[in-house]
Amino acid sequence: MSIVLEHLTKRYDGHPVVNNVSLEVADGEFFVLLGSSGSGKTTVLNMVAGLIRTDQGRILLHGRDVTHLPTQQRRVGMVFQNYALFQNMTLAENIEFGLQTRKVPKAERRHRRNELLELVGLAGLGGRLPKQISGGQQQRVALARALAYKPDVLLLDEPLGALDAKIRLELRRTLKTIQRETGITTILVTHDQEEAFELADRLGVMSFGRLMEVGYPEDLYKRPQTEFVATFLGTANLLVGLAQGEGVQLGALTFPLQDVSSLLHHDDRVQVLFRPEDVVLAESPEQLGAPRLGLGEVEQVTFGGSFERLRLRLPPLPGVRPIAPPVAFGGNAILVEATRSQDEAEQLPLRAGHNIWVGVRQVHALEHPGLRFLLLSDGSPLAQAAIQTAGHIARLAHARVTLLGYGLDGEAMHQHLQEAREQLGSGLAALDARSSAAAPAEAARQEVERQSYDLVVMGYNGQSEQIALAEHLLAVGEHHLLLIPAAQAAPTRILICVTTGEPGKEDVLFSGRLTRHLGATAVLLSVVPPEQGNGQQPARAERFLMGGERTLELLGVPAETAVRTGSAPDEIAAELAAGDYDMLVLGAPLPDADGNINLTGTISRLLATAKERPVLVVRAAVSRRGLDLPLIPSSARIHDLKEVV
Amino acid sequence: MASMTTPTTTPRIPWARLGIRGMALSYLFLMLIIPISVIFWDGFSEGMVTLWQEVAKPIAWSALKLTLWTSAVMAIINGVMGLLTAFVLVRYTFPGKTTLNAIIDLPLAIPTLVTGLMLVALYGPQQVVGAWVLEHFGQRIIFAPPGIVLALLFVTFPFVVRSVQPVLLDLDQAQEDAAATLAATSWMIFHRITFPAIRLPLLSGMLLSFARAIGEFGAIVIVAGNIPFRSQTAAVYVYGEVESENRLGASAMSVAMMLIAFSVVALVGYLERRGRRG
Repeated sequence: MSIVLEHLTKRYDGHPVVNNVSLEVADGEFFVLLGSSGSGKTTVLNMVAGLIRTDQGRILLHGRDVTHLPTQQRRVGMVFQNYALFQNMTLAENIEFGLQTRKVPKAERRHRRNELLELVGLAGLGGRLPKQISGGQQQRVALARALAYKPDVLLLDEPLGALDAKIRLELRRTLKTIQRETGITTILVTHDQEEAFELADRLGVMSFGRLMEVGYPEDLYKRPQTEFVATFLGTANLLVGLAQGEGVQLGALTFPLQDVSSLLHHDDRVQVLFRPEDVVLAESPEQLGAPRLGLGEVEQVTFGGSFERLRLRLPPLPGVRPIAPPVAFGGNAILVEATRSQDEAEQLPLRAGHNIWVGVRQVHALEHPGLRFLLLSDGSPLAQAAIQTAGHIARLAHARVTLLGYGLDGEAMHQHLQEAREQLGSGLAALDARSSAAAPAEAARQEVERQSYDLVVMGYNGQSEQIALAEHLLAVGEHHLLLIPAAQAAPTRILICVTTGEPGKEDVLFSGRLTRHLGATAVLLSVVPPEQGNGQQPARAERFLMGGERTLELLGVPAETAVRTGSAPDEIAAELAAGDYDMLVLGAPLPDADGNINLTGTISRLLATAKERPVLVVRAAVSRRGLDLPLIPSSARIHDLKEVV
Repeated sequence: MASMTTPTTTPRIPWARLGIRGMALSYLFLMLIIPISVIFWDGFSEGMVTLWQEVAKPIAWSALKLTLWTSAVMAIINGVMGLLTAFVLVRYTFPGKTTLNAIIDLPLAIPTLVTGLMLVALYGPQQVVGAWVLEHFGQRIIFAPPGIVLALLFVTFPFVVRSVQPVLLDLDQAQEDAAATLAATSWMIFHRITFPAIRLPLLSGMLLSFARAIGEFGAIVIVAGNIPFRSQTAAVYVYGEVESENRLGASAMSVAMMLIAFSVVALVGYLERRGRRG
């Protein structure tokens, strides 16, 4: 491997801009990092070059650990978006600069410089100054300059970003040819999808500091695993259906899946992707020759050069929820994007308003369902603080967020939801605001019945009615509960208190998943009662913690373990005081016969600490369907576990 | 048809335009050109030879030389330290940076007489610092050339910082990053990439502070005293000649000082034009 990145993390003011990125690039490979601006892709590149210091993780270039080496000793060649040619030097001097710094003899320098000018198609222009040539030519010189000393790896930071469309295409080809000829391992950073597809041997997609997926361009386009990648690459039709045996059910139809996920359970909700080119249109259902989605109305037809682009509106399908293209607020129709060749368009001309049968050739099921947060707010300062903190966490987790307002009148409610929306801002996978006139417990119950959530968030400062609400929230649905006392940055050091045994596994799995999203570190704590301290109990706790640590390791979460003997609330409080933690994870007590969860007693003493930092109450796995994984996965399941996260 | 369309802009009234120009030019004449001409007129009134004789008088010549060399020393120190200050202000973050940045312009707002007073209070032979230096190095500061240089440094402090700072801010740091990836050491990066870009603004900042220093009076008259052949600068000499009603001597020295300052300002203008052309 030419380039190996291990758990790279970079924070600014506590916020991770690069979050636990691991990557391997093979010898001679052209790797492209794709992401929108602010996704952290350029930061990764600068960390490889040594222009930005690494907070956590390692960088290996050809097996050499360069994490703490200065840029000068890393042997990387770099090309910048704005060319960054030395303005006071001629092109020849620019190219020779890297040879001069390494004290290469003059004759050899001159030879190499001419060779490179030839390579980038600028032979004979060596005597000019940078400002005397065009942007495209300047970038060719920058490339020649980076290659002059034959670096170990080539780093390209949006090299074509500042150029005209036509020159960009031309230089793209040159870049690919030169990379092939020199065989140099290359990472290119871009926000241009087309550029990424054309240049990449393999592709990585970044969002909010995280490397979402890595793969061959075709795989990522046709078989993405995450909703983000599905919608970021190309145009996506994304619906939520139900898993059924060997396939997935969309309305009355069941589509067979080629790549049936091992993780799908019967009746699981599953996201289904099909691309515009997978859509078939015909005048009658018989002519479709593909599974039928329904009779749609043409909403829009656009000419796209060699193809035609259509947007179709289908009536709602029972049990099917559309994600992309997004449906206008309050609508329940299903929108479908389709493309046809001009040939097909001529045989069956369509205009807006026409009705047409819509079929789908093939669908792909996404493995990763994505996290879903429900934020409760009554507009109070406490709730607003909770929204702010939850927003940081949701952004890092790339979660879909629903904001549920209650206890406010019409205009005040409207204004509060509007403000909260602005505060949450961009970066969430989705943001939906709803309001309810019911009491908070009832409003939440209705909402979680409408759709299930992974996490419900509420402001909490220890008042008794809040404990009652928390109990209600845990009694409905299948979610975990996050109690937030104040506005703060996303947690970076998390104390996970585990009970030894079955319920503890879910504590570790869910909080581990969240910790990984946050790029935080975790400490697993087990408290052993003193009266049973006959040597067996601590040993069992330690074994359990080791399993937990191993699980977290597989999730890519840096973790430590601690065992304490004594009463649980006291020891946990002592650990909190000692360890500078900014979040606490507790397992919820098991529900009683009526399904109610009682938060009084021992746990209430721990919840009191929630006045200082957020407390995540994880519901025990026995009450949840789904992740039925052994805590220490056998090798066959390690792969599955990674996919979940 | 096109030829028939009437212009949409209203025609300007010629006298309004001329009036504004005339006002601006008359003001320039009244305030700058006429007073300057009068001094030149005065200086040259007895002919070139007399003017030269007035400037070449030992006491005058020594004052002019003192002015020039103290200003030159100041300009060099200011160049080095001003560059360093600008560099630190642009490239590093530290607590109090905004305040420091604001303080740099303060010398422009402090009356130069006050500047002189401050320096005497600090470096005077009876004061702590002044006495210590005198005892350990045998060098007086006040009423001697070091005092003059100190006064000039204080008065012209912002000049270099403020001409280098914006250029450093604008400077594309990617060029320095590129040089680092090409294995250039920090010194090479400064010497081959950064310095060439700020060379001209640095030089013009130094020349401006030099031109400003030649005419400095308020701070120097207090710090340097008025000791002929030792600490009397050209501006202080002019003041003395005016006091003793030797108008010719005063005008002659003024003409000399102004000619030097003018040529320096002209040079700065040339350098800045060259800098803008790239």
